[in-house]
Amino acid sequence: MFPELINTRPLRRAVDDGLTWVVRNWGSELEAAAHPLLVLLNWIEQLLLATPWWLFIAVFVGLAALATRNWKLPLIIFVALVGMGLMELWRDAMITTALMITATLTAIAISIPVGVWMSRSQRVRQFVTPVLDLMQTMPSFVYLIPTVMIFGPGKIPALLATIIYASPPLVRLTDLGLRNVDPAVMEATRAFGASPSQRLFGVQIPLALPTILAGINQTTMMALAMVVIASMIGAGGLGYQVLQGIGRLEVSRGLFAGLGIVVLAIIFDRITQAYGRRLQGRIGVGEAH
Amino acid sequence: MFHKSGSVAAAMSAVVFAAGMAAAIPTSASAQDAATSCGTDRTIDIAEMTWPSAAALAHIHAIILERGFGCTAEIVAGDTVPTSASMLSRGKPAIAPELWTSSIEEAWKKGIADGVVVEIGDAITDGTVEGWFIPRYTQEANPDLTTAEAVIARPDLFPDPEASGKGRLYSCPPGWTCELSTSALYEAFDMEEKNWNIFSPGSGGALDASIARAFTREEPILFYYWGPTSILGKYDAVQIELGEVKPEVYACNTDKDCRDEPGITAYPSSPAVIGAAAWLPEEAPAVAEYLAKAGLSNAQISKLLVYGDENNADATETAMNFLRTEQELWTSWVPQDVAEKVLASLN
Repeated sequence: MFPELINTRPLRRAVDDGLTWVVRNWGSELEAAAHPLLVLLNWIEQLLLATPWWLFIAVFVGLAALATRNWKLPLIIFVALVGMGLMELWRDAMITTALMITATLTAIAISIPVGVWMSRSQRVRQFVTPVLDLMQTMPSFVYLIPTVMIFGPGKIPALLATIIYASPPLVRLTDLGLRNVDPAVMEATRAFGASPSQRLFGVQIPLALPTILAGINQTTMMALAMVVIASMIGAGGLGYQVLQGIGRLEVSRGLFAGLGIVVLAIIFDRITQAYGRRLQGRIGVGEAH
Repeated sequence: MFHKSGSVAAAMSAVVFAAGMAAAIPTSASAQDAATSCGTDRTIDIAEMTWPSAAALAHIHAIILERGFGCTAEIVAGDTVPTSASMLSRGKPAIAPELWTSSIEEAWKKGIADGVVVEIGDAITDGTVEGWFIPRYTQEANPDLTTAEAVIARPDLFPDPEASGKGRLYSCPPGWTCELSTSALYEAFDMEEKNWNIFSPGSGGALDASIARAFTREEPILFYYWGPTSILGKYDAVQIELGEVKPEVYACNTDKDCRDEPGITAYPSSPAVIGAAAWLPEEAPAVAEYLAKAGLSNAQISKLLVYGDENNADATETAMNFLRTEQELWTSWVPQDVAEKVLASLN
C-alpha cells in the first residue's frame, strides 16, 4: 500500500466546505444563470407534448423519406414509433426527446465556436484537449451530486450533466474537420483575397460540414446515453422507467423503456447520418465541376 | 432466544474448560477451535445496502466474522428488493444486516415459512422512523405546520422551481416501496388539486443532496425520509403528523395490484431485522448466535453515522471506528476469545 505521507482529511473537508459555501452564497445567482436553459427545455417539452402523436410520427417519417429517398428507413421509424406508443411510453419518450434536443442544441451552440477556436490556435488546442478528456472520462456522479446541491434536483442539473458528457465529440470533430480542409483550397482563397471571415464561413465550414454533422450525430447519441443517469437526479422520462424497473425487479418495465431509448437513438442517428451522406455527396459533386 | 443462546454458550465454555482440565493438549486446541470457529467453509456474503447505516453494519459484521470467527466473509452490493429476492431464491447473500421487511412483507414471510430464510434478530432494537419531514426553522416560522393538512394548505411555502405557483413534495427514489406509499398519500390527500407536484429525486443521492441544499440555504422543503440515518442526525427536521397508522390501508397503498382508492395513513414503524439465509444458522451456529445479539438502538446508529459524516469516512472506516470506540458494546455480542482476536487485529 502507498504510505500515508500527508493527511488528506483537511483537503477533503476544504472541498466539502467550499461546496457548502458556494451553495449558501451563490446558489440563487447560479440558479438564475441557468434559468434560460430551463425555459428552453420547458418550451421544447411543452411543444412536443402538445404535438399530436400522428403529427410527430408523420414529421419523422417524412424527414426520413426526404433524407434517404427510400421506403425502408421511413417504414422502420413508423413501426418503431407506433410500437413505442403502444407500450405506453409516448409521454416519457417526449420528455426524453426534449431533454436530448435541448442538450444537443446547447452543445452545438457551445462546441462549434470552441472547435473553430481550437482549429486556429495550437495553444487553445493544448489547453482544451485535456479538458475534453476530463469531461468524457470523469464519472458523471462525481459532478452530479454537487450540481444537484447547487441548482436543486431536476432538469437543470440533468441538462448540464448531459451537455458536459455530450459536447466533447462535437468540439473534437469540428476542430478535425476544419483542420482537414485541403491546404490547396485555402491557399487559393487567400490568393483571391478572401477575408478571414469569408474563408471561415464561405469555405472552411461548408467543406467541414460532413465532419461537423458526424459530430452532431455523436453528440445526439451521447446525450441519449445519459438519459438513465439524468433520471437519477430527477429528470424523468424513459430513464426513470428503467430505474423503476431495476428498483422493483420488473424486468419488463426496464426492458421496454430501454427499447424506447433504442428507438429514439435509431431515429435520430439514421436521419442525421442520411443527411450527412447526402451533404457529402453534394459537396463531392461540387468539387467535380 | 437470549436464554437459549446463553445456555449454549455456557455449555460450550464448559466443554472447553473440561477439555483443558483433562490436559489433553490437542483435544483442547480443537475443542477451542470448535467453540469459536466459523463452522462453515462457504463464503459468507454480506449485503452492503445503499444507505449508510446498513453499509456500516455490513462492514462491522464482516470484520468480526473474518477476524474473530475466521470465516471467509465477503461484502456484496445490495438493496432491499434485489437482495431479498436473491436470498429467497438462491440463498445468497447469506446475511442482510439491516433488512426493512415491511416493504417485502409477503415474500419474506413466505420465505420464513418455507425455511429458506430466517430472521436472526433485530438490527434496530427500538424501531424505525419513516414519514414526511419539514425543517424545524420552517415550523418555527409557521407554528401551525404540524399536521399534513396544515402543510398541504400552504403550497406557496414549498415552491416547485420548475412549475410556478405549485408546491413540491420530494418523494422517494424510483422502485423503493416508499415511492408507492408516498404517491398513494399524494393521491389520498388530493394534493394535485391543491396545487402540489410530487417530485421524484431519482436516486437516494439526489434526495440527500436536495435536502442538504435546502438546509444549507435555510429554505423550506417538504420531503419523505426515514431513520435512523445520518441525514436526520445531521439536519434538524421535524416529522409532520399524517394521522394514525392503518395497516390495511398502508398494505393496499404499497400494493401495485390493489385496486382500492389510496387512503390516508401514517407510515407504520417498520421492523429492521438481520435477515439470513437458512443455511447460515445450521452451518455456522456461532455466527448466528453473534448476529442475534448484534442489534443497535437508533441513538447508537446515529452516533455511528455522524462520525462517518463528520470525518468523511467510508463504511469501512466507520466500522473500524465503531469497533475501536464501542468495545464494551460489541464485545458483549461475541465469545471472549473472538473478542480478543478482533481486538488484537485492531491494534
